[in-house]
Amino acid sequence: MAGLSAAAVPIETQGGAQVQGSETPVAAVSGRADIRFVDQGDGTRLQTLYQHNPMRILFPQAAVGDLPLAAIVNTAGGFVGGDQVAIAAHVGARCRALVAQQAAEKIYRSTGAVTTIDVNLSAAPGSWLEWLPQETIVFDQACLRRRTCIDVTGNGQVLAGEILVFGRAAMAEVFRHGLLREVWEVRRDKRLVWLDALHLEGAMTALMASAAGFAGAGATATAVYVGEDADGLLEKVRDFLPAGDHVRSAATVVNGILVIRWLAPRAQDLRREFGVFWAHFRAEVADLPGRLPRLWHI
Amino acid sequence: MRTATSISIIMTMQIDQTQPSAALLRLMTWLSPAFPVGAYTYSHGLEWAVESGLINSGDTLSSWLESVLHDGSGRLDADLFCAAWTAVEADDLAAFLTVAETAQAARSTAELALESSAQGAAFLLTVTAVWPEPRLTAWQAALTARQVTATSPVAVALAAAIAGIDLRAALAAFLHAFVANLISAGVRLVPLGQTDGQRAMALLENQIHGAVEAALKRDMCSFGSATPMVDWASMKHENQYTRLFRS
Repeated sequence: MAGLSAAAVPIETQGGAQVQGSETPVAAVSGRADIRFVDQGDGTRLQTLYQHNPMRILFPQAAVGDLPLAAIVNTAGGFVGGDQVAIAAHVGARCRALVAQQAAEKIYRSTGAVTTIDVNLSAAPGSWLEWLPQETIVFDQACLRRRTCIDVTGNGQVLAGEILVFGRAAMAEVFRHGLLREVWEVRRDKRLVWLDALHLEGAMTALMASAAGFAGAGATATAVYVGEDADGLLEKVRDFLPAGDHVRSAATVVNGILVIRWLAPRAQDLRREFGVFWAHFRAEVADLPGRLPRLWHI
Repeated sequence: MRTATSISIIMTMQIDQTQPSAALLRLMTWLSPAFPVGAYTYSHGLEWAVESGLINSGDTLSSWLESVLHDGSGRLDADLFCAAWTAVEADDLAAFLTVAETAQAARSTAELALESSAQGAAFLLTVTAVWPEPRLTAWQAALTARQVTATSPVAVALAAAIAGIDLRAALAAFLHAFVANLISAGVRLVPLGQTDGQRAMALLENQIHGAVEAALKRDMCSFGSATPMVDWASMKHENQYTRLFRS
């Protein structure tokens, strides 16, 4: 909960105005959004809803023939160092739900304090949960630790993603320095089966450019699918991924978890391909409409 | 011995430092390319990186492997190696099993998981057969009971710690073997002349020390890697049309 340190550097606020950090420290937030769905024989219903500033959960009208939709909104518009956010989504047995971020997330430049985002997704037997992200735009000198935990019981299914954009392309900003830690933890029946930790700290220009690092990518994305049918889906999923080098993408099944990655110089190319995959995947695997909610296209 | 006493103190010190210890010889045996773990069948995604033109020379091979060493599996496995060695040294089986489970989970692709688990299993099989130790057998049984396969760093750290081999030396030898094996794969794939291969090795040899020291200082809250292109290459390798390597 540490606020921004009193360094005399301009800090960009949510509104885009410049303030002096030494005079107007920006209070750190502790946001929460918890949502639980349950099915007591009458279809997927909301069981619990908890929200704490600046997080809000909205329920836009779902498209005809599509799942109940919950949209996670950050009313602050972005996060500064010291902000702590916890998001949890649970689907009970037989429930099917789509939880999506309403808009791109911005992680502002920090003088050292770290933004932490914890996402906990859990699925009971016979359920389906989609966690559809929008881009997280990491400003130069931002400090972010994000952890996405997926807990699946029995034959529950979870499709989750995260998209990272390095710097604001429109301003020709590059993510040169800061902290970016993106962790995935997947547990099946309480057992850790997959762990992935992207860790970038300090000066990162060389690694962003290096061939084995990010090879000049301006954005990267990961999608993870946990389900008993993951192994058999690999070949189909490869057909949903682009060929060519404008977006580098590939899939694998590791420890029974389907993992898909994207890397692209231009964030908008990556986003488009990510959406193409997502729409195909939900149609193929869950027999859902092969499209994304309207908020994805706004 | 008489000649040694006649030279300068500095030289004597150097000779003492390079006196082959039992630990050094054991590490050379265990981490030799001849040790039967099938290391030569794994390229860690290099085969695709060469196929797609990302690596086409000694220089591009060296810089790719520098990233792998400092920011990729070299970094990740060094941390796991330290954690596993420390747990064995402290005789903390529960901590060791947690590290082993984490190491097994922390594989970014199917083939990188195979590369690490298959070599780890083969390593322990041979070490147990040739250098039997009651504690090694007991801890392996604990791994089996937990349904965890020791990945390569965990397997080598376990054997080294039980054999009383110093962490710094064991980790340096482990990273050296890992890098040397990938250079050998690169020499065959690019292809490079043997001299260019050794130039790459000389360059990376200098960096192994830094990688070891960084790992010894690193906190587990910084555990991780940042080489998404290696993961991508490894995933693409799964579908590579003609391939010599298993990863």
